[in-house]
Amino acid sequence: MSILAYNGGAIIAMKGKNCVAIASDKRFGIQAQTLSCNFDKIFEMGPHLYIALPGLATDTQTVQQKLKFRLNLYELRENRRIHPKAFASMVSNLLYERRFGPFFVEPVIAGLDPKTFEPFVCNLDLIGCPNIPEDFVVGGTCSEQLYGMCEALWKPDLLPDELFETISQALLNAVDRDAMSGWGARVYIIEKDKIVVKELKTRMD
Amino acid sequence: MTAVVPDIAKPGFSFENCRRNAFLAQKGYAVPKATKTGTTIVGIIYKDGVILGADTRATEDTIVSDKNCSKIHYLSDNIYCCGAGTAADTEMTTQMISSQLQLHRLNTGRVVPVITANRLLKHMLFRYQGYIGAALVLGGVDSTGPHLYCIYPHGSSDKLPFTTMGSGSLAAMAVFETRWKPDMDEEEGKKLVRDAIAAGIFNDLGSGSNVDVCVIRKNNVDYIRPFDVANVKGQKQGSYVFDKGTTAVLSTRSIPVDIEDISITPIEPESMDTSS
Amino acid sequence: MALAELCGFDKTFNFNGVPKDMGADIDENFFTGNFVSHTALALPPFPDPAENLQKFSVDESGKQLKIKFDHGTTTLGFQYQGGVVLAVDSRATGGQYIGSQTMKKIVEINDYLLGTLAGGAADCVYWDRVLAKQCRMYELRNRERISVAAASKLMANMVYNYKGMGLSMGMMICGWDKRGPGLYYVDSEGTRTAGKVFSVGSGSVYAFGVLDSGYRWDLTDEEAYDLGRRAIYHATHRDAYSGGIVRVYHMRSTGWIHISNEDCKDIHYKFVEEKENAVAGASV
Repeated sequence: MSILAYNGGAIIAMKGKNCVAIASDKRFGIQAQTLSCNFDKIFEMGPHLYIALPGLATDTQTVQQKLKFRLNLYELRENRRIHPKAFASMVSNLLYERRFGPFFVEPVIAGLDPKTFEPFVCNLDLIGCPNIPEDFVVGGTCSEQLYGMCEALWKPDLLPDELFETISQALLNAVDRDAMSGWGARVYIIEKDKIVVKELKTRMD
Repeated sequence: MTAVVPDIAKPGFSFENCRRNAFLAQKGYAVPKATKTGTTIVGIIYKDGVILGADTRATEDTIVSDKNCSKIHYLSDNIYCCGAGTAADTEMTTQMISSQLQLHRLNTGRVVPVITANRLLKHMLFRYQGYIGAALVLGGVDSTGPHLYCIYPHGSSDKLPFTTMGSGSLAAMAVFETRWKPDMDEEEGKKLVRDAIAAGIFNDLGSGSNVDVCVIRKNNVDYIRPFDVANVKGQKQGSYVFDKGTTAVLSTRSIPVDIEDISITPIEPESMDTSS
Repeated sequence: MALAELCGFDKTFNFNGVPKDMGADIDENFFTGNFVSHTALALPPFPDPAENLQKFSVDESGKQLKIKFDHGTTTLGFQYQGGVVLAVDSRATGGQYIGSQTMKKIVEINDYLLGTLAGGAADCVYWDRVLAKQCRMYELRNRERISVAAASKLMANMVYNYKGMGLSMGMMICGWDKRGPGLYYVDSEGTRTAGKVFSVGSGSVYAFGVLDSGYRWDLTDEEAYDLGRRAIYHATHRDAYSGGIVRVYHMRSTGWIHISNEDCKDIHYKFVEEKENAVAGASV
């Protein structure tokens, strides 16, 4: 088994029309044993910027803290909010620094441009290779299932309501085919003037 | 270093996780695979300069993780570089060399020669003994004319009139070996590069999607992305639109965002007070 | 034939391959007698397969080769004053992939015999089918139903022939015969044991926790069903490889009856509601 599947977890981020969404399951387990059904994998990095860190849970938290530290220094030095693209570079650099002894996380970033409110989604592999597509990104133990769901369900210019249903259904149906993820789900719909956080009713087995 | 604020780590690679990861590997948890480009990249010299070409597929083991990634990297205004191998390595290596070339240009005040980029790249790769898995096709035009280099992960390099790299290199080379000739014109060159990449896309499983082409001439560059959509995606016939309320929700929380207005006030330097 | 001896082939080994006139019967009659006797599986053409098959379970670099067959289960069975209750989940996984959420892990061998499956799905399903045939043959030959003890022993003996060759199964066989209710645990290692309370599979530790704390001999039928269901539900909640539907069966003197099929999701939110009501009731 891959170490990335040791604790389990699944993530999606999707672009919509003037909005983005990011969703994760809430399981924290050790291999087959589920220990918690309320484990955060998505972290706020700014009013319109969120990062999810699926993978080995210890690294999820370490990387989150290291990133927050670097981000705070950036914002103090620059006296402005970070652009999602610049943040992606920051994550990329943090991970690539450990090219030969990586953290076992595959980050997913979703956010809006602080000025133009342009949607942005991005994922990176565990040594920091960025991938910035036009539609959606996925990560975690059931990425194959998630890719399948997203390829089928996603279409351009989804409105916030539609985006919520699309991302939720993609996540729910993918984790229902994966033993290591599920046990609750949380979705963030990020719009210019508000962020809506929804807890989904999911299977608990 | 203060007790409260830790230092920012020194530049260069960090090996802090290596012992832990080696321990995990010993326990049977192998280090997961990083994204590979699994690529076809090519370059040729033609009458007025250099043409580089690349496919746009990135793979994570058997999964296509990026269907339209950019494998022709900017090094300087007159030099570009195609990367194959570990995606993060080609990305970061070219970024690092790009900034060194820029510093070199500012120091010397002249257009950087292609051979300098070649030397910087091979030095860097050689130092890491092949552990940085970047296989590159470097092309550019300088005061001495067009140059094309092929750089291997261990740090060796070839200077060639036409070259291919990556998992699709055999398919692409087959096209070049039959059709390349010296002093081709631009249209013919672009067609040849497209066909070589297409051979990789269709015959190598690691390569796919579109063809990117970059034409570097004496005074300008044409970066055409995509040059050719080799695989046109079919239109979806059906549509999965879920009615509002399909997904059962346990709770909803809304966080309003006050949009901050950012104003920049330039601070004028004050003259020193010398009155007393 | 010194080489053959060195390789350990016995004198009867056929080096000439398949006889030409065998035609379509090759699989059934040459390599194995499976078509004639269902308890005979095809074995590799070398001696002492139990020991020598192990050599093929690693690749040339010494890495374990894993066959990802469907695996992971929670099953339980217990005897009480009203007979025997069996409860199982319905998830089949291959590695971490969920192959099915609706698998039937209780096999109805006949009207008075039930078997549960855990471990390799194909192994369990196959041997249960062979057992069903054997039991029916017994009935026809002896004009009476087979006892639970005999049926479980048939199973234990059949799989024991293949011990160490990679069969993987842990099953409970329950029934009602002249001696009353019976519950046996049989596995591919050759274990066969009678008992009052069993739970088998990756989620069994969680199921035992619930089962042991709620178990009494004098449970009513409804209490017994609820205990079985609860134990399986809690196992599916904690164990990644168990889930889907909770199926409950009851073995009585008149034969088995099927009690319920309930989705784990429904059970979970029902229990959550019950818990909330209990808290609300306590605080009033």
